[in-house]
Amino acid sequence: MLRKLLSYKTPQNLILLIDIMALCLLYFYKESFDEFILISGIFLTFIIYISNFILLRTSSGDHYIFLIMTMLISIGIIMIYRINPFYGFRQITWFGVGITTFFLFYAVIKKIKKWEDWTKTYMILSFILFLSTLVFGVKIKGATNWIKVGNIGFQPAELIKIIFIFFLASYYSKKEKIMNTYGLIGIVYTYIGFLFIQRDLGTAMIFYFIFMTIFYIFENNRKLIYYNIIGAFFIALVSYFVVNHVQIRVVTWLDPWKYIDNKGYQITQSLFAIASGGFFGTGIGLGYPEFIPEVHNDFIFSAICEEMGIFGGIGVIMLFLILVYRGFKIALYQQNLFFKIVAIGMTTLLGLQAFIIIGGVIKMIPLTGVTLPFVSYGGSSLISSFAALGILQVASEEMDPSQEEDNG
Amino acid sequence: MDKTDKRIIRVLIIFSMLFISLVVYLSYFEVFQASKIVTNHYNKRQWVNEEHVLRGIIADRNGKTLAYSEKTQDGQVRYYPFGNLYSHIIGYSLKEYGKSGLEASYNKELLNIDQNPIAEITQKITGPKEKGNNLILTIDHDLQKDAQKHLNGKKGAIILMNPKDGEIYAMVSNPDFDPSTIKDHWAEITENQNSPLINRATMGLYAPGSVFKIITATAALENDISKNFECRGSINIDGYVLRDYKENVHGKIDLKEAMRVSCNVAFARMGLELGEEILQKTCEKYMFNKKIPFDLKTKNSIFPKQMLTKPELGATAIGQGKILVTPLNMVMSASAIANDGKMMKPYLVKEILSSDGRTIKNFRPQILGSVTDEWTSEKIKDMMINVVDRGTGKKSKIRNIKVAGKTGTAENESQKEHAWFVGFAPADDPKVCVVIVLENIGLTGGSSAAPIARDLMIAALNKLK
Repeated sequence: MLRKLLSYKTPQNLILLIDIMALCLLYFYKESFDEFILISGIFLTFIIYISNFILLRTSSGDHYIFLIMTMLISIGIIMIYRINPFYGFRQITWFGVGITTFFLFYAVIKKIKKWEDWTKTYMILSFILFLSTLVFGVKIKGATNWIKVGNIGFQPAELIKIIFIFFLASYYSKKEKIMNTYGLIGIVYTYIGFLFIQRDLGTAMIFYFIFMTIFYIFENNRKLIYYNIIGAFFIALVSYFVVNHVQIRVVTWLDPWKYIDNKGYQITQSLFAIASGGFFGTGIGLGYPEFIPEVHNDFIFSAICEEMGIFGGIGVIMLFLILVYRGFKIALYQQNLFFKIVAIGMTTLLGLQAFIIIGGVIKMIPLTGVTLPFVSYGGSSLISSFAALGILQVASEEMDPSQEEDNG
Repeated sequence: MDKTDKRIIRVLIIFSMLFISLVVYLSYFEVFQASKIVTNHYNKRQWVNEEHVLRGIIADRNGKTLAYSEKTQDGQVRYYPFGNLYSHIIGYSLKEYGKSGLEASYNKELLNIDQNPIAEITQKITGPKEKGNNLILTIDHDLQKDAQKHLNGKKGAIILMNPKDGEIYAMVSNPDFDPSTIKDHWAEITENQNSPLINRATMGLYAPGSVFKIITATAALENDISKNFECRGSINIDGYVLRDYKENVHGKIDLKEAMRVSCNVAFARMGLELGEEILQKTCEKYMFNKKIPFDLKTKNSIFPKQMLTKPELGATAIGQGKILVTPLNMVMSASAIANDGKMMKPYLVKEILSSDGRTIKNFRPQILGSVTDEWTSEKIKDMMINVVDRGTGKKSKIRNIKVAGKTGTAENESQKEHAWFVGFAPADDPKVCVVIVLENIGLTGGSSAAPIARDLMIAALNKLK
């Protein structure tokens, strides 16, 4: 037992090794002894060890997705700590909260049966959350998608994402639909409309693509798929001409250098960071990622590229690729239709969000402000990513496929 | 495998392609775009070291401080005590708009940034150095001031150079700007039609006019066609008439006499006889169409590369038509004649000193190449002495000192000609070589540029004694 715990071959030990090395580097970078780093380091390794241990004991499903998450969040914590030690320490706390969320969702989702029966509930709950955002919403960074309860702000859209996937999964796993496909499409586009009003374009894109993925796989009326693509194209075109916000994103994507001192500032600073890093990076603590506004949040990937190099960045991309691969593999092996769809939804959610923000900060696609799952600094989106992973963990376990028949 | 699973796999393939496209794009960006981007002025990384390191001093050959920096509460300020005087040599160093001149080309030295990677790593560990290195220039502050004074109110450039080792004593270009206040006048200066930011001495491309005859003469002597030429005041080449100044008829003259009176007809005949290939080869020995290695940005002098028609060839031989030179190239050419045919590499920075006065690098004279043999250069020198003694360059004559020179009056697109003078003194042991270009002054080189050259050569010979 002990030997197994200490073997360098176990993946969590490798992650631990990386964390220790990075924290040592941070220690030298800071020059004076910083007990914060020591406490943080102990705290971090403790969480990693305990959570991996508990997971191995409790879940019979996939063990890799959790390890990938641990690696991603380690890279994130190292980077955030280097940018701002205070945020770094807070991120470890967020990690603790996230792990708790993970296990909470894992336990609750596993314990309660009949998730597939509540299609209407999911729908109504989403509407209530959207409407409350509209009414009580606070404008932060150009998007009105926050609700403040006392001192704590949270983004309802992050919670709606998960409810949305449950909604789609329950809709397609039932033989007797509560409405026809047109009704479903109507509801989805209403959601996207809400997000447009909130100016949360990134999340709107994610909603659309999650819907399209599930729709593509499970819809029997194949023609509707093409209509949806044409419709989305049309909406995109109209919003480009009507919504100024969208236009800015597109022009700063096509040529950010023209607007370098105003609207193109963020993206060009991000490109400078990536360009200065080269293939191997400047080394942790030796670059200047703090020049990028919002670097600990949406632009964390640029900071990774600057200090850990393009190879570091490619590493992160590959981790997401493996995560997506494991996610779809879970979906393929899952016999329960509801959880099959949920697995696809959660995987698409995490993978797509990673693609959109990485593609955005490297200027491959227009920039939309979403966070990089598990790597960006804290908040609602980090918690919802943990929740998504917890649900994916449930979906990775073997389940009774005959539930559907029992109900029917 | 059922339909659903097939579709799931298809979605997985799309996702894989998306992520791989990220990897490909990122690598493409790093390989092809990154190096261009990092030098952008908005990339603050370039300026980080400068915040910590006190930028080095730039001083002239006698130790006179020409640029220095002082620490302030929030960083440092760069001072240029002589304002416009060194605008094109030292240039400016601005966070907002970047750098020019020596501030740009010797940035690393002025900031004491090590170029070798190992030293760079140790520096990163030990922390950046506090003071940058100092530059000692080949410039003589008094001569530089004199040169500027003579160019005052005129457009053009003046260079004074040591023909034997390539040291630049003075280099001015007008219009100029004040590097200490350029930030506040940036838009005005960059949009000015006279382009004060351009260093005309190294980057101005002018029709050389008759000063080019030095090069045509080199080709003529080397190819032994220096027999007599017939001049009737003009020459008709395939219907295109080339005229002499005021259509003076020179009659039957030899090369030396043609040079003295700057006879266009004789030189055009020479050009036609030599042919394009020989003329081009000679020009290329004089660094035409080649990059001149220098401490500042330069442009290449142009000998047209396409096939020339006969009238074009005739015009080229007298420095008109499509041929263009930089003043720097011209002073190097005259210096090569003064230096037995050996062209020296021009340089502005003599020495790099550390902040505590240790010599870090000493720049030595370098031969760029040989433009012609000793015999030919001696012959051309004789002709140039003759030009000053009894020809178009009389106004550059100095009592008791033999001066060699050549004047030029170059026609161009505008109505007003450029006035040229190149020359050196003392002719038997050249100490200083000078080039003067007065852009669109509308006067002959002999009347406008030659007297300036005379004053500057006297000043230089007195100063450098």
